[in-house]
Amino acid sequence: MLYFEKRDTISARIKIIIPLISILIGILFGALAIVVVGINPYEVYKSLFINAFGSWYAFSETLVASTPLLLITAGLVLVFKMGIWNIGAYGQYIMGAIFSSYFAIFMPPDISKFMMLSLMFFGGALGGAIWAAIPAALKVFWEVNEVITTLLMNYIALYILKFFMYGPWKNPTSYGFPLSKPFPASAQLPVLFNHTRVNLGLFFAVAAIIAIWFIISKTKFGYEVKVIGNNPITAKYAGISVGKNIIIAMIISGALAGIAGMVQVSGIIHFLQVKINANYGYTSIIVAWISYLNPVLCFISSILFGGLESGGYSIQISMRVSYGIVGLIESIALFSIVGSQIFLNYKLRWKK
Amino acid sequence: MKNNIVLRAVNITKKFPETIANEDINFSLRESEIHALLGENGAGKTTFMNILYGIYMPTSGKIYINDSEAEIKTPQDAIKYGIGMIHQHFMLVEPLTVLENVILGLKDQGITIKKKEIKQKLREIANLYSLEVDPDKKIWQLSVGEQQKVEIIKVLFRGANILILDEPTAVLRPQETEPLFDILRKMKKDGKSIIFITHKLDEVMAVSDKISILRKGRLVETVKKDSVTKIELSQMMVGRTVLFNFDKKEKNAEKNLLNIQGIDVFSKQQGIKVIEDANLNVKKGEILGIAGISGNGQQELVQAVAGLRKVSKGKVTFKGRDISNKSPRHIAQIGINYIPADRIGMGLASELSCVDNAILRNYYKKPISSGCIINYKKSEAHTREIVKTFNIDVADIYAPIKLLSGGNMQKLLFARELFEKPELLIASYPTRGLDIASTEFVRKQMLKIRDEDMSVILISEDLDEILSISDRIAVIYKGKIMGVANAQEIDKNTIGLLMAGTRLEDI
Repeated sequence: MLYFEKRDTISARIKIIIPLISILIGILFGALAIVVVGINPYEVYKSLFINAFGSWYAFSETLVASTPLLLITAGLVLVFKMGIWNIGAYGQYIMGAIFSSYFAIFMPPDISKFMMLSLMFFGGALGGAIWAAIPAALKVFWEVNEVITTLLMNYIALYILKFFMYGPWKNPTSYGFPLSKPFPASAQLPVLFNHTRVNLGLFFAVAAIIAIWFIISKTKFGYEVKVIGNNPITAKYAGISVGKNIIIAMIISGALAGIAGMVQVSGIIHFLQVKINANYGYTSIIVAWISYLNPVLCFISSILFGGLESGGYSIQISMRVSYGIVGLIESIALFSIVGSQIFLNYKLRWKK
Repeated sequence: MKNNIVLRAVNITKKFPETIANEDINFSLRESEIHALLGENGAGKTTFMNILYGIYMPTSGKIYINDSEAEIKTPQDAIKYGIGMIHQHFMLVEPLTVLENVILGLKDQGITIKKKEIKQKLREIANLYSLEVDPDKKIWQLSVGEQQKVEIIKVLFRGANILILDEPTAVLRPQETEPLFDILRKMKKDGKSIIFITHKLDEVMAVSDKISILRKGRLVETVKKDSVTKIELSQMMVGRTVLFNFDKKEKNAEKNLLNIQGIDVFSKQQGIKVIEDANLNVKKGEILGIAGISGNGQQELVQAVAGLRKVSKGKVTFKGRDISNKSPRHIAQIGINYIPADRIGMGLASELSCVDNAILRNYYKKPISSGCIINYKKSEAHTREIVKTFNIDVADIYAPIKLLSGGNMQKLLFARELFEKPELLIASYPTRGLDIASTEFVRKQMLKIRDEDMSVILISEDLDEILSISDRIAVIYKGKIMGVANAQEIDKNTIGLLMAGTRLEDI
């Protein structure tokens, strides 16, 4: 008979094995779906891997996808540590893209590149921060559950984006496609390595995760975040202002998602459109979760999931497998990781 | 004729990665026997019970039920062998009714709930052991004492012959203890065997037949109740004699430190005034004991002083300054520190390390932090100092504090507050759930700071504790102060009367 026995301590080994197995389960289910369509899953995964890590160019595309993931994840780590479930990175990312695009579209294109990019950077951060501050305020002042508000605000953000793209910001020469006019050169983030799309955004992302690590492990604010996340009543007892800290953390989290949106439009797409890969906002939840909110592990997992994203695009073209497979792998992996929490506290034993 | 042995544990050893929780324990339980398992916090009582109930597997050793070897791998196995456990923290579903909780998890109930049959069986159990609870009431409507009854009913409903009660009196009010003991005696008469885990000597003497004493994971001795005294038991528990009486220096406290002037405290949750027109003062260098049955407003009163609850009328002054409705941090900074009653719920962050918990009061101050950066080297040094001065048993100060025993957690919390050098220390039930050695330690510390001219407000339901260390005693009943008297001029009976709602001036 199989039975559970309580673990006394959680070993590092089990903490590493669980996410790996979770991803493996995701991959197995993905394989099943590929078989159903009548394609050899081994070939698909091989192609996916090669297109993600097989060459410098492939890897550079992986880094391109990892950049927004890491930026958003950095912010999510902070709020998740606090026990605040911000599901709204999707919307915060969109608002960041809209706010930063405003400058790219409406500022005179001949202002200096530094000036333009700074405006776009802070605009993106502001857009995301506003979108996160609203649910934070609702939670702090009226005790409205942030899971619901952040989630619903994603749709509002999407429709605001659609409004601008089909309406006032539509490029008159785009033949009816919902696109803005292209960004001027001054509004494009500089590329870090020639012949790739890896841009300054990667630097922002690495800086962000290091900053979040520093905040959590070295600062007073980070200490307060940990105490609130573990026991808000003890936090209040110690004189920590719970509401103020929730709002600050949400603003930081939203700002980072907004910067991710800015990086995507300014560094990769170079115009604003309806499809700006806002799904990174959901994928980042998986990245943060699978890394136990540990910044170092977040760095590794965001590259892993970045590879899955960029390799996924390629197999769509090369193997004619739907990109949806990637979503399937990701969501099954999240299911497995959430479901396997029990193995952190219990071990499975076999006794006849 | 002697009764049969129903449960026998032979050479039980349980090793954890860092410690040996149980070593070579031999234990036997007879039919119709109340067997107390006595030991300090961390002596291994709970581990041993968890092995009997199938929550842990022993590293080595065997268990026999009715003389045949039993393999207890899960609680379901334990239930099959007729073992039932009543946990200290109840395993009840609050929104469900008593009846629903009783049958929860039973597999032989079919698809529909046969309410009539179940109620019939519940009535039988109720009549046999005086366990009356309305089966249609929801759990949240019941008092703690009644909830415990439901736990016992649950176990009996599953046909248990061996009942394990893990510190059943820790959650009860003093007047609920005796009825519980009556239930235990009735069950014993009916042939049930009971293992009763506790560290309270009075209870052991009151109800048990046999006593096994655990110390540091080993079973020191099993004795018949009639052949030992309380003093001997306490010696066996801690391995040395414990002082029950403190020599308290005489002193005259004169200067007023804290004044509570006619305050009201309103509770949002309960929708009523939980404190009404309370007047109380604390003098410099005295211990003011607040006696009263739990839930009569003592928590709310001191939380209002500590800034954790709003004062809706009246005011609180400290050294002449109005501190009513000031922030908790402001109040801590001017010299009032508070040790909450439920340390896991308030006061500690159980998943965080000892270091993180040790700096909760001073993380924002120099030298622990400068600017917005916390100096974790200095935090570690601070923690080590606390651990060393208070002799706290910690294996790894970076491990989550929840891994410490209750006594050590309390010591750390207590030490953290004392290291702030408060002028007034508010201690709510500081010794609740602690073993003898830790209790003695905490009481001595309170007397020590009193001798250093600091003041203490001590909330306790243990009248001996209040009488032995307080200078003055206030009694609270339904949110009102029934009276204040010098400790030498009041006796237990008078306090008892006040606790039941008589005013001091009416006596």
